[in-house]
Amino acid sequence: MDKQKVLVPYNFTNYDEKALDFVIRRFAEDKGVEVTFFNAYTPVPKIELRNSLIMEKISSNLAYLQQKIHEHETGIKQAREKLIQKGFSSNRVHYIFRALNKDVAQDIVDLVLDNGFDIVILNRNPGKITRFFTGSVSNKVMKSLKQVDVYVVT
Amino acid sequence: MAVQSKIDLEIFQLVFEVITKSENADTMANQLTQVLVGALGIKGATIFVLNPELEELEILASSGLSINYVNKGPVLVDKSIKLSSNREPVIISDVTTSDRLQYPDKAKEEDIRAIVSLPITLHGKIVGALRLYRSQVWDISEQDVEHLQVVAQNIGVALMYFRLANAVLSVKETVNEVHSVWL
Repeated sequence: MDKQKVLVPYNFTNYDEKALDFVIRRFAEDKGVEVTFFNAYTPVPKIELRNSLIMEKISSNLAYLQQKIHEHETGIKQAREKLIQKGFSSNRVHYIFRALNKDVAQDIVDLVLDNGFDIVILNRNPGKITRFFTGSVSNKVMKSLKQVDVYVVT
Repeated sequence: MAVQSKIDLEIFQLVFEVITKSENADTMANQLTQVLVGALGIKGATIFVLNPELEELEILASSGLSINYVNKGPVLVDKSIKLSSNREPVIISDVTTSDRLQYPDKAKEEDIRAIVSLPITLHGKIVGALRLYRSQVWDISEQDVEHLQVVAQNIGVALMYFRLANAVLSVKETVNEVHSVWL
């Protein structure tokens, strides 16, 4: 039987930790499941100004961004390690860490469709109001996917 | 001696390019914090939106700060920076001599020495905050504070736009789901 592929978008919040715990409870014993964590960071804007000195200055001051990217990659590796410690074999846990292409929801949908994921584990903070400005990632993903199981951990 | 201003027309151009070119609030807020950190040479920047029910500031975007600091706990409106109204800019030039921080130990661990907090207002109501963090003592000029207030006001307008755009998209999607037989 083909392995079931599970995608876990992960963004280092307490709710992401809850989703991680759910993955462990639900799938640790199931050897037919492969888990992939996904995190995307926002790339630095590419802006052309007549005088490019300001962009050069920004670039030189943005060395921290590489550090932050490294910190996030380390964080996502730690989430992977947690699964391995809880019984997943290392060849069953993967991660994808890359720059954001469009928006978070669309990137998740594209990833699911391009890579044939069977299950997506999202998380949602019900009281959060930033979604009034950014839109709800879980709503957008659920509306866009068909024939895919979507779990939302709250 | 007067403190030299850092924010000039070029930085304003950059900020407004980001605000007007971004296709969603998430990207706008993240890139805006990146541009402010890069252009001002500071440690970090965060854009919060106000959760009026919980009286907390929720992080919309942040650059330059560690995951641990960002997840330090709820940022309460009244206690985060203790100012009676929260309506004016708050400048903490040196956190080691200030008793106005909600998480002073966390700031020290993060190597934050100074914080400038600006309210994001709309129609006279607070809807969020823009905070800038520096690793050194910060004697920010009055002119820079005024310029940052203009940036914060524009963030407020952009947030209102994205709020309304999301509402319109939501209505459009709902209407599209209605089959013509019901119309």
